[in-house]
Amino acid sequence: MDRTNPEKPSGLFNGIVDWMDERFQVRTLVQSALHVKIPRKAKTFYLGGITMFLFMVQVVTGSLLALYYQPTPDRAYDSVMFIMSNVNFGWLIRSIHSWGANLMIVSVVLHLLRVFFQGVYKRPRELTWVAGMFLLIVTLVFGFTGYLLPWDQRAYWATTVGTEIAGAMPFVGEFALNFLRSGPDITASTLSRFFGMHTLWLPMTLAAMLLVHLVLFHQQGIADPTKPVSRAKPDASATPEPEGKLLPFFPHYLLSEAIAWYVILGILIILASLWPVGLEAKANALQTPAHVKPEWYFLFLYQLLKFVPRVAGVLAPIVAIPLLVLLPFFDRNPELKPRKRLFAVIIGLLTVAGIIGLTIWGQFS
Amino acid sequence: MKHKLAISIVSAVLFLLIGIITVSAQGSDKAILSAPTSTPAAAADRVVTTTVKSTAKAKVDTCYDCHAELLDKHPKVAADWKDSVHGAAGVSCADCHGGDPTLDQMKTSMSAAAGFIGVPDRTKTPEICGACHSNVERMRQYNLPTDQYSKYKDSVHGAKLAEGVTQVAICSDCHGSHAIKKASDPTADVYPLNVPALCSRCHSDAKMMEPFNIPTNQFDVYKSSVHGEALLGKQDVRAPNCASCHGSHDAKPPTSAEVVNVCGKCHTATQNYYEQSLHSQLKEAAPKCWTCHGNHDVTKPDENMFTHTASTEPVCTTCHDIQTLDLIVDKAKFANPDDRRCDTCHHQDSWIYEQVLSLKSAMTVADLAYKQGDVMIAEAIGRGMIMNDAESRLAEARTSLISARAAIHTTKLTEVTKLTDKADASAKEAQQMASDKLGENLFRREAMFVAMGVIITNIGILAVVRRRLYKELE
Repeated sequence: MDRTNPEKPSGLFNGIVDWMDERFQVRTLVQSALHVKIPRKAKTFYLGGITMFLFMVQVVTGSLLALYYQPTPDRAYDSVMFIMSNVNFGWLIRSIHSWGANLMIVSVVLHLLRVFFQGVYKRPRELTWVAGMFLLIVTLVFGFTGYLLPWDQRAYWATTVGTEIAGAMPFVGEFALNFLRSGPDITASTLSRFFGMHTLWLPMTLAAMLLVHLVLFHQQGIADPTKPVSRAKPDASATPEPEGKLLPFFPHYLLSEAIAWYVILGILIILASLWPVGLEAKANALQTPAHVKPEWYFLFLYQLLKFVPRVAGVLAPIVAIPLLVLLPFFDRNPELKPRKRLFAVIIGLLTVAGIIGLTIWGQFS
Repeated sequence: MKHKLAISIVSAVLFLLIGIITVSAQGSDKAILSAPTSTPAAAADRVVTTTVKSTAKAKVDTCYDCHAELLDKHPKVAADWKDSVHGAAGVSCADCHGGDPTLDQMKTSMSAAAGFIGVPDRTKTPEICGACHSNVERMRQYNLPTDQYSKYKDSVHGAKLAEGVTQVAICSDCHGSHAIKKASDPTADVYPLNVPALCSRCHSDAKMMEPFNIPTNQFDVYKSSVHGEALLGKQDVRAPNCASCHGSHDAKPPTSAEVVNVCGKCHTATQNYYEQSLHSQLKEAAPKCWTCHGNHDVTKPDENMFTHTASTEPVCTTCHDIQTLDLIVDKAKFANPDDRRCDTCHHQDSWIYEQVLSLKSAMTVADLAYKQGDVMIAEAIGRGMIMNDAESRLAEARTSLISARAAIHTTKLTEVTKLTDKADASAKEAQQMASDKLGENLFRREAMFVAMGVIITNIGILAVVRRRLYKELE
């Protein structure tokens, strides 16, 4: 990787940096972190950065919501109502948190699809892909656990059917159901467990996995989707790119990323202002709504379970997820161009079409 | 040799015949007792071979065994009975049709001597059903009433039947004969949701009703009434069906004097209010529920029920006997729903008309406030605002408005305005809450434009910087 020398800043800022640099060598750190060059042909669509930005938005808004939210069945609904009605800009914070969660799932999936269809998960980036897959799973679990917290009818019943999906797993289904619900039914223990997972376990896990993902990403740089990495000549020993084909990561790439973040922030504000997140009637275990559905990102699985045998429907993701996680180790074809890896691309397209079709079908059924 | 052979063959055939007769007759001791024994040939002539496989010692129902295997409609009758409440309770064919189900010979089991009566005569059917259904000891275990037969005898149907008119409803016309189901079974004709269609099978038939001079449009009128829409449209079993007002076994049209009590079975509060009114004190001449609301064609009441849309000429005979000037109610004047108005009696020159207008005004104002509140809340909800508080307040307004509508039956302005004022106040509070939320929503949208302005400006600046940077790079 090419590294450039940063210009030395002056004034108070320079003094502070000097002070820090003496002790922690921050200039070297920043230089190695930011002043790198990336291939001009890299097309990231800024999706990884957008996902990270949305995660930061979630951390900030979630922390603010936690100041008022009370995770017990008696108080959860009323506290959310209080946030929406009485807390200054509480409606905005909660709406951004809710829309941010949805957009984060969209962006993380698009990021995965970008990496898959560009074929850049292949050697030498296998572990970056694996870490990314874990981030996707953690993001989905984030959404799942957060959905219950408002403790309204939609939250309660979506979690009921969502945990039922886990309960349908062969052999470990009952354990999984009891583990998720903290008992056979959705009760105060479930809410407490989901809140703990949503605000402690998952943020820590996601932050750790994100750190791993970023370190791996930094060490290898952004992939060039037009240039397959030869198995005989791994990246480290590859001929360096000519200077004209490279782009400074800072400030050029990061500037574009910042513009993308601003666009996402604008979208979040528009969505939260025009379609603020609502609140249905308080959760009632004795009143099943007419149409119970899980969150939209689990809808394809829910719909699949309706027409394939239950065990097959549950086994499909159990088999598919490890396969997807370990994809770089199965896919030994070094080619990156879609027409040279037709099998993988067709399987990918069919899977995406199937998931979109099932989701639309589930929404309107 | 040939003779010996012939005698042997004849002897063998006779022996075989006697054997067959003996074996088949062993199915029932009674059959053996009642079977003629003169000659084997004569016996063979009388015996009908059946498919009955039961023996005398087992509990047998030869009626079912035979009819289940016969052609034509018999298997269905047998199957219907088996699946019916009677089949489940062990009420056999013989309990209604007579005969002896333990005998396996048709001629004996279905003989007059065995008490067989065949299809019961229509005039006898209620009595046959009543034989069991009036028996407290037998019905106690099923928690069934035992007064149906006595009620039926007092009904229009029963009275006509007693006169020998067979073209009236008997038990089996409503409950069926063999496929009898519980009234709580949704597939039963007598299930509340199915009762209007059941009654209309006869009462919508002009030919059947002609001898009785009864109109046949009740079902059609009922279907579009508020009651019919609730029962048949919303499938709300709490809504009244024909039997709710006319009775079922004791079916009879309620008299004018009874109608207040009939409607009051459900509309309890309204009946209480009505009984406080001057109307109720007029006894026979009093306007009753039907006067303003009709009977089968009851529609949702609203403020248009107070007065005619156009001015009307008072007709004295609507409320006064032309000879004695006594108060009366001329039913014909209220046949048209558009004439079921207060000013049909209280003409515009009367002093009560002013009170009618005041009542109408109070109700209209409160109703309008409620409707405006409803529209504003719906708009705010449509814009994503949480309106629980306003909805609660509007629900209070609605409760007061419904109470005020019921209180109109007192005809007392003070009683009504007390409630309409309350409804109006609650509705206006709800409106204010909705207005505040709509204002807040407007602020949110304006703030959104400001925020977007800042974001777009920043994006613009960054885009300019980016272009310069890329130019420098080139």
